[in-house]
Amino acid sequence: MAIILDELTARYGDTIVVNRVSLEINEGELFVLLGRSGSGKSTILRMIAGLTPPAGGRIEINGRDVTHLPPQARGTGFVFQNYSVFRHMTVAQNVEFGLRIRRADPATRRQRSTQLLDLVGLGGLGGRFPDQLSGGQQQRVALARALAYEPAVLLLDEPFGALDVKIRAQLRQSLKEIQNQLDVTTILVTHDQQEAFELADRIGVIERGFLMEVNTPEALYHEPRTEYAATFVGGGNVLVGRMEGGRIKLGTVSLPVPPGAPPHEEDASVRLLFRPETVYLSDVPPPEGSGIHTLGEATVSDEIFGGSQQHVRLEMQAFEGVRSLQPAPPYGRRVFHIEAVQTSDRAAAQTRPRPGDRVWVGLRRYHVLDPSGLKILISCAETPAGEAAAAVGALLAQATAGPTTLLAVGEGERLAETRRLLEERLRRWPGGPSPRVTAKVRQGDVAAEMLAEAHEGDYELVVMGRAKDALGPVAQRILEQTETPVLLVQDARPHLARILVCTAVGEPGKTDVRFGGRIARRARAGVTVLHVARPDAEPWERERTEEHLAGAQAVLEALGVAVRTKIQPQAVFGLVATIIDEAEAGDYDLIVLGAPAWQHPGRLRWTDFASQIVRNTARPVLIVPMLA
Amino acid sequence: MSTETQRRGAALPWLLFLTLLPLLLMPLGAIFVFAGRAGPAGLIQALGQPDAQFALRFSLLIAFGTAVVNGILGTFAAYVLSKYRFRGRETLNIIVNLPVAIPTVVVGTSLLLLWGPIGLLGQLLDPMGIQPMFTPVGVLLAHLFVTFPYMLGAVKPVLDELETTYEEAAYTIGANRWQTFRFVILPALRGGLFSGLLLTFAHSLGEFGATVMVSGNLRLRTQTAPLYIFAQFEAGNIETANAVAAVLALTSFVIFILLQRFTQRRERRVS
Repeated sequence: MAIILDELTARYGDTIVVNRVSLEINEGELFVLLGRSGSGKSTILRMIAGLTPPAGGRIEINGRDVTHLPPQARGTGFVFQNYSVFRHMTVAQNVEFGLRIRRADPATRRQRSTQLLDLVGLGGLGGRFPDQLSGGQQQRVALARALAYEPAVLLLDEPFGALDVKIRAQLRQSLKEIQNQLDVTTILVTHDQQEAFELADRIGVIERGFLMEVNTPEALYHEPRTEYAATFVGGGNVLVGRMEGGRIKLGTVSLPVPPGAPPHEEDASVRLLFRPETVYLSDVPPPEGSGIHTLGEATVSDEIFGGSQQHVRLEMQAFEGVRSLQPAPPYGRRVFHIEAVQTSDRAAAQTRPRPGDRVWVGLRRYHVLDPSGLKILISCAETPAGEAAAAVGALLAQATAGPTTLLAVGEGERLAETRRLLEERLRRWPGGPSPRVTAKVRQGDVAAEMLAEAHEGDYELVVMGRAKDALGPVAQRILEQTETPVLLVQDARPHLARILVCTAVGEPGKTDVRFGGRIARRARAGVTVLHVARPDAEPWERERTEEHLAGAQAVLEALGVAVRTKIQPQAVFGLVATIIDEAEAGDYDLIVLGAPAWQHPGRLRWTDFASQIVRNTARPVLIVPMLA
Repeated sequence: MSTETQRRGAALPWLLFLTLLPLLLMPLGAIFVFAGRAGPAGLIQALGQPDAQFALRFSLLIAFGTAVVNGILGTFAAYVLSKYRFRGRETLNIIVNLPVAIPTVVVGTSLLLLWGPIGLLGQLLDPMGIQPMFTPVGVLLAHLFVTFPYMLGAVKPVLDELETTYEEAAYTIGANRWQTFRFVILPALRGGLFSGLLLTFAHSLGEFGATVMVSGNLRLRTQTAPLYIFAQFEAGNIETANAVAAVLALTSFVIFILLQRFTQRRERRVS
């Protein structure tokens, strides 16, 4: 290993800019750190060079711990975006500077600088001053200067960022050749994925100071593990379906699980990535046995000619229960977009779609991302109930290990304070900051913004505080409009050990049991499935109830959850009282209620029932809308 | 140059010239007219007097000393203020530039109140026989104070423009702090240093207000050229005064032209 980073961390004031990054880079490798500006990638490079002190962690270069050594003692060659060529020195003097510092004799210096200037394509220009050279040439000088003293590693910080496209391509080519020839271990930092693809032996994707994923360019493009890499690297379509009976369900479409796909639980959401060039477009449905998986019919909404390729944007009627993560779905419409690319060769293209055309869409190939855990939205209001919601939300987020967003809504003068409090909460996040947890501040009316975020973010669970005696209009509207389960919290719980799933209304639902089960499995909680029996139930009704409870038990046990079923006769004071009594007696941490679909005729009666439950207990109540 | 239209016509330029004639040009001319009145022999005789010789030599020496000391101090201050972020940096920045704004007579007074025989520090030093006021050291102290901002003003902008990566590049290449300063920063500062030194020198050469307070105006001991001119003028020796004044004016011209040419060359290189 030429370079080893071990839990490397950097802070800027209170903000963590690099978060426990561990990485091993091989001898002679060209490694690219890819990320947006501000992602922390340059800070990592600067820490390796010794220009920024790390707040924690260790750096090893060629087996030597250099964490606390000054930059002079590390033997790195650094190339800056702004060249930083010494203006008062000639090109040759610049290149020889490192050797001069190392007291090499003039003959050796001259020989080395001539050799290096030839290598970087500046032979014969040694006598010039930097201001007589173009930007591209100055950067070549900087490269030669950094290589002159045979550094242990070459570090390049956005080296082509200040150059125009054509020069950039030439320099890229030169760098690749030089790096191959000298076999020097190199780390290059860039935000340009094209650059990363062309140059890298391996790419590390950096986001918000976290190293999200490391792989070869090809693997990162075709088989990323994380959603971030999938959407940041290359154009991509990511749809979220569901695992059902060992196949991936996208609404009415059922796709086989590709070999080597990461294992998913039954009923868990599955994120499917397909790149634009793997989308099949045709006037006719893909033929049977062609290996192409039909997705359905779509309308061409846009078509852009891009030289060798033709980019096509398709609009497809959304399938029930399928979400699109990328491209972002248009707001307020039940459709999603798909990006496709076709060769511009008219002879080879199956069809040449025009906007407005109806075409058949198929997938030649698709890839399944790693399971993500629950995607949770936690509303962080500055009220006692809001605090409690944040605490319970944190417990859930930790248990399910899913992507979590902390949302605060502020307005006017309070906005800055709201932001500060939220960042503070993010820093104090139990178990330390995590790449999965992000904070978001929205501006405006609390209810409207909560709803908008729940809509736009496609969350699998919304956690929010509640008043003592009501479901609250926001929760009701989220349940109605997004079919997202809502966890209402009044008082915090120290842990999630006991979950009560009530199947009292109608028939024991599938969705609520499964959802409760998913949470229980991750939280290692025990589940009690409760059915409240009507006193006047017929024997056949009892039989059906028992059957359903046995089914629920089987489903939960399959998930590996410790489960108990219970049939409780309805108490004198009614259904609500029976459930509350049971919840208190068992000291449950979470009460799960299934809610009928909002079009359901019993919905109004149900809302009344749910409100009564909420009014009579301070425990967290999770409401799961039942999918048809 | 600019996108604005360039106007033609000679009316306004003539008006400007006529305004400046009595304000700037004629007074300068007057010095040389008076200085030359007694003929070359008179001029040489006036300059040959020991008092005049001393005053000119003393002034040049003090100006040189001031330029050297403030050259070093000012560069150091500029480096620290430009490259380091610390609490009180803004305040310090204002304080070091303050001497431009303070009347020089006030500077002289405050130096007397600090170092003079009854001054805050002078009180303690006096019994030990240390008495900086009314000596060449006092004059140097006053000049250092008055001209401090010029070096800073010439060097700091250059340092501010010098990217941090310039130094960092040197560090990663292996140069230590001193080598980086010596081989990388100092050469980049050459222009700023040169103009700073010239400015400091020129201002020291002409300093009057603070000098008159702290020097005691002692002949052949602390009398600088400007003080000599004033003294001779008051005594009615107008020719003698003007002879020295003409030398001072000429020296200043030379310095000024040097500065002008130097900055122009730099501007050309930058563009």
